[in-house]
Amino acid sequence: MDSTDKTSRLSTRMMPYLAILQHDLRALRASRLVRLWLAATAVLTLMLALANWSNFQNAPLIASLLFPYLVFPWFFVVVVLGVSPVSGSRAEALADGILSRPVGRCEYLLATWSARVVLVWGVYLLVLVPVIALVTLAKRPVPEDTVTIYGVATALFVVGLVLTFLVSLGFLMGTLLRKPLLAVVVLIFVWYPISLILSVFSLEEFSPISLNQALCTQLRQPWRQVEGDSKVNINKGDKDAVPSQFSQILSVLSGAKPKPKAAKPEFFEAEKFDDFSLLRVTLGYGLPTLMAVVLATLSFYWRDL
Amino acid sequence: MPTQPDTDEQPGMEPAIRTEHLTKIYGQRLIAVNDMNLQVPQGSVFGLLGPNGAGKTTTLRLLLGLQRPTAGRAEVFGKSCGPNAVAVRSQIGYLPTNPKLPGNLRPIEYLDLLGKLSRLPRQVRKPRISALLRAVGLLTATEQRIQTFSTGMCTRLGLAASLVGDPPLLLWDEPTAGLDPTARRFTLDLIRELGKTKTVVVATHILSDIDQICDHLGVMHEGRMIFTGSMQDMKKRLRRDGFSLELEGETDNIRLLAQEVDNLEGIEAHLGAGQTLLVRIANDRGRSRALAEVFKLVDASKLSLQAVHSAQNATENAYLQLLQEEEAHGFHR
Repeated sequence: MDSTDKTSRLSTRMMPYLAILQHDLRALRASRLVRLWLAATAVLTLMLALANWSNFQNAPLIASLLFPYLVFPWFFVVVVLGVSPVSGSRAEALADGILSRPVGRCEYLLATWSARVVLVWGVYLLVLVPVIALVTLAKRPVPEDTVTIYGVATALFVVGLVLTFLVSLGFLMGTLLRKPLLAVVVLIFVWYPISLILSVFSLEEFSPISLNQALCTQLRQPWRQVEGDSKVNINKGDKDAVPSQFSQILSVLSGAKPKPKAAKPEFFEAEKFDDFSLLRVTLGYGLPTLMAVVLATLSFYWRDL
Repeated sequence: MPTQPDTDEQPGMEPAIRTEHLTKIYGQRLIAVNDMNLQVPQGSVFGLLGPNGAGKTTTLRLLLGLQRPTAGRAEVFGKSCGPNAVAVRSQIGYLPTNPKLPGNLRPIEYLDLLGKLSRLPRQVRKPRISALLRAVGLLTATEQRIQTFSTGMCTRLGLAASLVGDPPLLLWDEPTAGLDPTARRFTLDLIRELGKTKTVVVATHILSDIDQICDHLGVMHEGRMIFTGSMQDMKKRLRRDGFSLELEGETDNIRLLAQEVDNLEGIEAHLGAGQTLLVRIANDRGRSRALAEVFKLVDASKLSLQAVHSAQNATENAYLQLLQEEEAHGFHR
């Protein structure tokens, strides 16, 4: 009885949030931009898959399918979707229609943000999941690859996280600048040179291009690699060390120059991106996303409608 | 001093709206609302009257918490207004001027969305929506999308939307703007009906609307509330009053009558357009006695009286007089 009461109270409390979310999703679904995006992303994904069907192994092929979401061109659509809800002429309409009702501004903002995030994830997964399944399950004239389900899930998660960040960034800019066009232009100028900006702060591993390069390694990661694999790596390292040391001793004895010792490759130079950390990337994109949403909420709270 | 004391508050009853030194300045440049002290009694139909740009809409938006006051405060049923004052907004039904409605929805879907925003459970929401659609005459348009609606239909849907949560206070901004005579009549009748159970604030610059439906009035001019009080108080402010008598008979006889009336103490008479006689009674003369004397002269003449009209709209006169006074005061200030 008590729990039923609590559930009904919660559902009553959540009613405006869910109503706005549902209404916004419906409006977004009906928008021309989203329909065009869905069609374009489906076509592009299929084209990429077919073009590389017999050239790439699973991991690089999947990474190439994720490239348009991470780098170009879909970031533009995602940013535009994020910018729109509280800027321009829409602000007045929503003030008259929704914010004059018993709805908190924070509640409204979170609902519209959620709607955009759900929509972006929806479109992205709707197109990619079937194509990835096709790529991994089909027999293709390429060498076998060790792509894992865990790897695919985490790669999709990482790209989704970047898209969520972009929506939130658009949201923040739309709230701060109020003019949608200006906000989009500012975001383009910020996002295009992002790799350069990040490299200045030695945060290259968070740049979309590096993430895309690291996805191949991540796609091959097994669920429980930590203990077993590290053991294997250590043993392999030990095994590699023995002949190397032996040849070094021989060269010293024979008076020949020893072979230069290979330094540990930098993140970008390494082909396998062993330094990729899911946790770091999650925090690296998750925290700014949260910050963008909080700042957008604060800015929206203080603003006149 | 043109500003009247606050609207009469009924003892023991909290006013529906109370503002104290409410001020809104846009960008350090434009004073939209200037030090407004206002009390709207519960159960009244309050007309917020003023020319375009007087600050009526800003006042309503401050009450709704859509804008923040630069100074002062506003309360609705004793609760402070602000952006997160959900409890305040649950007590208010707002109708904006020419409401912008989501064109892709149908009326039922739109009202259902608003019902959810008001946290109404389904079993309350559904019957209320149907009752409201019937009340505003949109029951036959439920299959149409809102984008196909005429201005009148949009306003009627807006009216229904403001009533979904069954709030005790209605803030309607220019509810008759752009309506044809039938729709306007319908809206005014609805306000009169709702005024029996709710507090209704109607912001408008249409004097005849105020005249027909309001029992209390606030007049705004350039952000200042220059008068608040009852409609009777407003009409009492007239310094003098005029009447026009519609007569039937020869023009010479009407001219003769005009001379006779003009000879009466404290009464001026002029010939008007057609066969009318314009009569103006001085402030110090009792109106009924003066009119009785005029009627006696009409009776004695060879003319027949067809109709008697108040020469000008009393509210309009009082309103214009207030604006003139305010402008004169402003000049002195």
